[in-house]
Amino acid sequence: MSYYVTEIDTKGNIAVDDTLLVKDVLSTAGSHILEGFAPLFSAEVVERVQKAGYTVSGKANVGEFGLDLVGEFSNKAATKDGSLVGAAAQLVAEGSVKAALGVDLNGAPRRAAALSKVNFIKPTYGTVSRYGVIPCACSGEQVGVYAANIADLKQVLSVISGHDDKDGTSLQHDSYDYDTDLEVKGTKVCIIKELLSSADDSVKASVSAYAEKLRKCGVVVEEVSFDMVNAAQTAWQILMAAETCNNLSRYDGVKFGYRTPNYNNIDELYVNTRTEGLNFLTKATIIYGSDVLSKGRYNDCYDKSLRVRRLVVEQIKKLLGDFDAILTPVCSKAEYKPYDIAEAFTKVFDESRYTAIANLTGIPALVSGGVQLMGSYFDESLILSLAKCVERVSE
Amino acid sequence: MTLDKLKGLEELNQLSFSEDEKSSVIKIFENMNENEKILGEYNTDNTDVMVHVMPMTNVLREDVRKQPFSRDDLLKGAPEHTEDSWQVPRLVK
Amino acid sequence: MKYEVTIGLETHVELATNSKIFCACGGHSSANEPNDCVCPACSGMPGMLPVMNKSVVELAVTAGLMLNCDINRYTTFDKKNYYYPDLPCAYQITQLFNPICVNGKVQVKTNSGVSEIGIKQIHMEEDAGKLVHDEWTDTSLVDFNRTSVPLIEIVTHPDFHSAEEVVAYLEMLKSMFRFGNISECEEGAMRCDVNISVRPEGATELGVRAEIKNMSSLASIERAIKYETARHIDALERNTEVLVQETRRWDDTKGRTFAMRNKETEADYRYFPDPNLMPIVIDDEWLNEIKAKMPVSAEEKAKEYADAGISDKEIEMLTAERNLCDILDEVVALGCSAKEVAAWILTDCAGILRKNALLLSDLHIAPEKLAKIIKMVNDCKINRGAGKRVLGAVIENDVDPEKYCKDNGLDVQVDQGFIEGVVDRAIENNPAAVSDYKGGKVKAFQALLGACMKELRGAGDPTVIKALLEQKLNK
Repeated sequence: MSYYVTEIDTKGNIAVDDTLLVKDVLSTAGSHILEGFAPLFSAEVVERVQKAGYTVSGKANVGEFGLDLVGEFSNKAATKDGSLVGAAAQLVAEGSVKAALGVDLNGAPRRAAALSKVNFIKPTYGTVSRYGVIPCACSGEQVGVYAANIADLKQVLSVISGHDDKDGTSLQHDSYDYDTDLEVKGTKVCIIKELLSSADDSVKASVSAYAEKLRKCGVVVEEVSFDMVNAAQTAWQILMAAETCNNLSRYDGVKFGYRTPNYNNIDELYVNTRTEGLNFLTKATIIYGSDVLSKGRYNDCYDKSLRVRRLVVEQIKKLLGDFDAILTPVCSKAEYKPYDIAEAFTKVFDESRYTAIANLTGIPALVSGGVQLMGSYFDESLILSLAKCVERVSE
Repeated sequence: MTLDKLKGLEELNQLSFSEDEKSSVIKIFENMNENEKILGEYNTDNTDVMVHVMPMTNVLREDVRKQPFSRDDLLKGAPEHTEDSWQVPRLVK
Repeated sequence: MKYEVTIGLETHVELATNSKIFCACGGHSSANEPNDCVCPACSGMPGMLPVMNKSVVELAVTAGLMLNCDINRYTTFDKKNYYYPDLPCAYQITQLFNPICVNGKVQVKTNSGVSEIGIKQIHMEEDAGKLVHDEWTDTSLVDFNRTSVPLIEIVTHPDFHSAEEVVAYLEMLKSMFRFGNISECEEGAMRCDVNISVRPEGATELGVRAEIKNMSSLASIERAIKYETARHIDALERNTEVLVQETRRWDDTKGRTFAMRNKETEADYRYFPDPNLMPIVIDDEWLNEIKAKMPVSAEEKAKEYADAGISDKEIEMLTAERNLCDILDEVVALGCSAKEVAAWILTDCAGILRKNALLLSDLHIAPEKLAKIIKMVNDCKINRGAGKRVLGAVIENDVDPEKYCKDNGLDVQVDQGFIEGVVDRAIENNPAAVSDYKGGKVKAFQALLGACMKELRGAGDPTVIKALLEQKLNK
């Protein structure tokens, strides 16, 4: 089974999600509506890995606009042994490439990494350029890196991070010095109880096992309560859906991509193109996102979510003042089975419980060993060092 | 969410659902409206909105003109176009 | 019964920048053909991100200061959502929550007096593209050259009470913005939405409001206001129709307004803050910098010119065009007198432009070159006629004045001996004219002078030649 939507170079050593633009190569974000779309420029992260000597192997399949669990609702959904897997994560797991680049807007790459037992890091918001990302949820999406080990992860992350003038939200630092060998002995990690209790026993067991390994590294691990889990999850759903609604309104059959053959006037052209070109999950997200922005709902939903975001940031900063990192599950289950798209919206929302905090607040989140480590802003080094220590004790 | 309101949202967003999809959407809204209640539990009277998680200001560029992309390339991917323009069904009859 | 009309305006003004508001494409004024100032960002393709043009902020603040506004020190951008083929992303980036300028006021003079108009706010936003409707193919062609061209929208309070006031206000904005280099204000670069209601005089509540959208010519605006006023009065007085709050469109050929479809007018735009554009903070330092760069107003300039002895009529012509004032000031700075420069611009330059079917507003001349020409004439290196010839060549072909003189023999350093030779030859070759002159026909002198000038091809000082010729003839 090929995990590529478009293969570029069989000798390539880095795969990129189809939500990232590669000049003159079909870039469809897993959507029928972008049929035939070949961009005129490459994403900044793609330029950077190429400049650093990597060769792009191809465009890895993603779920339509990256909105689903791991890529199940796309042009080319993949399964392994009857369970869903993410394409880029699986390419890394199988050793086809050294690393892959993915866009994390609602946790899909993090879930995929956990299922394929590889690493994925969504770095601090603003450290990696979003120029050339097919956009959905601009306020919280970031390009991240998949790799089989922490050393490779660090190497590619160092290449793609740093200021870019073409992204107005890109932070000023030219580069970031990531250290994966910080002394972790004596550091403190907390497990968020509310995220542990909602997960399956098998997931709980892997979190416990990970915690044990951390302890072997001399890390203090404690369970704590964080009562804004539900609020963060809902707030991100609202912001993400509204921004997605706005960003996807450009796909209308006029300028590029798919155009319905069934139209007699502009309204039919719009409606039929979008109805035929987008899947149900995307359409439901657009409709929900439009509703939370509507006159009667804006204050209680969208505006409220922007305020709750500030509260969550304050609370997370507080928690990360008491602890050096946070350990949580990243999926509620150890595996996902194929399911009907009618259930997708609610299913993804439920699973975003584990991933939304990092998108909403912009803190870095690392998936390693099937669990998630979150750290303070710009503190990628510590979570990478923790994961590397666990990697070492696991060998 | 009602079918009537949903119709308005479909029109506003230039897309439409089948009957089955409509009932799925209404269920999604019921579920989300339930979840939204959690937000009301937080007092945000003295909390400002947070649009950007990184506090930056004045990200500006100098007013310099550059034109690196050609019209032909831009039009190449258009579903329908003339030699210099994108083309849609006529708007004024 | 007497009625009072109440009008508020929303005026969109295209800013004179080199590049668009969020991408580096040139504005549509630099476009020659459809879609030749377009990039992936302003044609709605995914992946490019908006980066704010600094000049737009500075021009918007300058406009705000001109209209006596408070400058919001913290200003942000929002997205407005609606579908139309001229809007490639199906959203427009504008300012709803924190516009850049608020609470301004200006005085407007009409024949019936002076009235004060309150400015509610000024905000920055991007323009939409253009559609050309093609009947033959039954299609509309989409041109994104104008997409993302920077605009300011100036929103007034409902302080106007006549079409005359509205026109006077718009004319004032136009000359103010042109003079201040805020906007070229050419055809279509200034567009208005007119909010209008009519009530019986003395009534406390405003009447039902109609909004007439998107008009750009002052004549249409005036007609539309008059038409709407009459329509409202008819409705109030004779129950010709029930007035509803609605958006209307002015049809210039039919000379009336039409209600627009509800779908276009009752859309919920679902504004929300733009996550891709960071807030702009205008601190004292930046504000002072902008203030220091504020162009002098036309009134101030007029005073300065009057002090320099330029006539009122000339001042009026000069201050109508910022460009003329700039040229004049620079030539004066190079050591010429304001009065003579004014004459060169308003008489000689204007004449040359007229010959080329151009207006004074089209004048492009390097101030150094004009100064050079004036100095050459003043120093008698060339005569005024030759000066005019050089000026023409400079305006038409941007030649180098000195080189042009040399190449065309205008600058001959004429020594007395050379001129004497020319005069002698003229007398020798025109015996008939000489005898006519000697016989008392004064006119014949002109023929002889002409012969000299012809040989000298404009070089030499005419008074010197004239004196020499007279001297020789009367010998």
